[in-house]
Amino acid sequence: MFYREVGQLKTSYQSDQAVFTIAQDRWSFLVLLIVAFGVVPFFINDYFANAVLLPFLIYALAAIGLNILTGYCGQLSLGTGAFLGVGAYAAYKMTTAFPELNFIIVLFVSGAVTAAVGMFFGLPSLRIKGFYLAVATLAAQFFIVWLFYKVPWFFNYNATGQISMPPREVFGILITGPKAQPWATYLFTLSVVLVFAVFAKNLVRCRSGRAWMAIRDMDIAAEIIGIRPLQTKLLAFGISSFYVGVAGALMFAVWLGAAEAGETFGIDQSFLVLFMIIIGGLGSIMGSFLGAGFMVLMPILLKQSMVDGLGLAAVTAKHMEFIIMGVLIVFFLIVEPHGLARLWQIVKEKLRLWPFPH
Amino acid sequence: MSYKERKIGDTLLKVEDISLSFGGVKALSHVSFDIKEHEIRAIIGPNGAGKSSMLNVINGFYHPQEGLITYKGQVRRQMRPHQAAKQGIARTFQNIALFKGMSTLDNIMTGRLLRMRRNVFWQALYFGPAVKEELEHREAVEKIIDFLEIQAIRKTPVGRLPYGLQKRVELGRALAMEPELLLLDEPMAGMNVEEKEDMCRFILDLNDEFGTTIALIEHDMGVVMDLSDRVVVLDYGQLLADGTADEVRNNQDVIDAYLGVSHGDDESLEGAA
Repeated sequence: MFYREVGQLKTSYQSDQAVFTIAQDRWSFLVLLIVAFGVVPFFINDYFANAVLLPFLIYALAAIGLNILTGYCGQLSLGTGAFLGVGAYAAYKMTTAFPELNFIIVLFVSGAVTAAVGMFFGLPSLRIKGFYLAVATLAAQFFIVWLFYKVPWFFNYNATGQISMPPREVFGILITGPKAQPWATYLFTLSVVLVFAVFAKNLVRCRSGRAWMAIRDMDIAAEIIGIRPLQTKLLAFGISSFYVGVAGALMFAVWLGAAEAGETFGIDQSFLVLFMIIIGGLGSIMGSFLGAGFMVLMPILLKQSMVDGLGLAAVTAKHMEFIIMGVLIVFFLIVEPHGLARLWQIVKEKLRLWPFPH
Repeated sequence: MSYKERKIGDTLLKVEDISLSFGGVKALSHVSFDIKEHEIRAIIGPNGAGKSSMLNVINGFYHPQEGLITYKGQVRRQMRPHQAAKQGIARTFQNIALFKGMSTLDNIMTGRLLRMRRNVFWQALYFGPAVKEELEHREAVEKIIDFLEIQAIRKTPVGRLPYGLQKRVELGRALAMEPELLLLDEPMAGMNVEEKEDMCRFILDLNDEFGTTIALIEHDMGVVMDLSDRVVVLDYGQLLADGTADEVRNNQDVIDAYLGVSHGDDESLEGAA
């Protein structure tokens, strides 16, 4: 009843190409932003930041990255875990080598390094497609993690083989290390993720996004209209890896504070992020957020409700959680194979008519 | 007709002595013909005659083992399809090759990709020149949408459109490239009479209004004879005839290829006729 676009006439192509074409969407997004920036930081605590919000935001960023590659450009990748690792190790090496360097620059450099690595491993994509490409990126996953174990230079020759983040400030506010306040880490991560999400949204509705989707949908026809397959795919690999790299740097530096190659950046991470974009919606920036939300928040919700609500033992709850998550994933994929983003769209279309059927 | 003759210009594309084979299979052997500026050139022939292979050679998908291709006065080297696109050759496919996940608008916008210049950073910011560029091209695309009368399906994902409209969108995408040479591979296959008439109208209009040179493959002889200025006939990879529609229609080889030749008692048949 309230979600109507009656009287909202578009008079220019610019307004027709806006991200939120409907005023209600614009207002809800604005409210969401105000809550996220203006309200949440006052109520945030350590648990809420580190168990809920930071993982959600950081995985959403990684999911956007993978979505650009897999959802928009159609190149299946299983190397996300390793690329997160590349971002993390790049951030670690940069910030220990140059302690004075602004952390935002460190983030960008980690993204750039990961982009270079990603493009290198994207080279085979010209020749191989689909599952075979996935296997090629799987090689990247194992090789890179192995490298981080075997070459002590990456973890600065320390005894444990782990990397841990020294405290760093941005604009005089501590955002990494154990003493960083939850509101600071949250606000920093939120800002970074928001900016990159906006960039991603812009990219996919411009020339690059169309070129990627053209390659995804029909590469022969794409070449006919002048799209160069290798360059386009490499650009997708580069930008995707940049996003994943920044997410990896945030994950290590701001959220976890310490990391070990095999444990933190293993193949499970690759699958986790892949599931996020499949459930959230391939080829949708919003879907990346929804998918990350689902995969991060649902287990917490389940655990809370089972342990605190039903009084189950923690171990039982953990196993139940696996079962229920599995069932939910299957359920959502059957109900809407195009993911939560599509489901959301359908709901919106229904809402436009509600409560009158015609 | 006189108007047409006046309009047709110099040779735009010339293929000489083209031979193409896949292993032992000869798809084309020693085919030569030319396409003049602003003309509508039909390529006909029975199934498997090598018509689509010929188009694939022209836009760089296949590389012929022998022969010369001269485009706009320059002998062409081996090239990839995207280079052909850059030189102004667009095409549509026999089986529709649209980008199924994208809307009609986006599909036609992809046709403008080559003309868009702003790099990734501008696009990410979506600010200033990048926006301006988007809007300019949107306007060009809207003109094509108007021309093809597909305003109503602008935002519809093309996968959901009926076959005839998909063909029209595909033509729109090719037009968005503002090509000099437009290759149409069976643009009217599987259409009903009304859709065929629409398509014919679009082809004639764009040839008239924009002066686009068109090479088309088509099986509907009525359409071919009505539309085309000149016709090339291929059979088993060889050039059978080349000339105006009337000349080709009365060519004995062509009639034989299409209707078949009866062996043995030719005399008696002719006598009966």
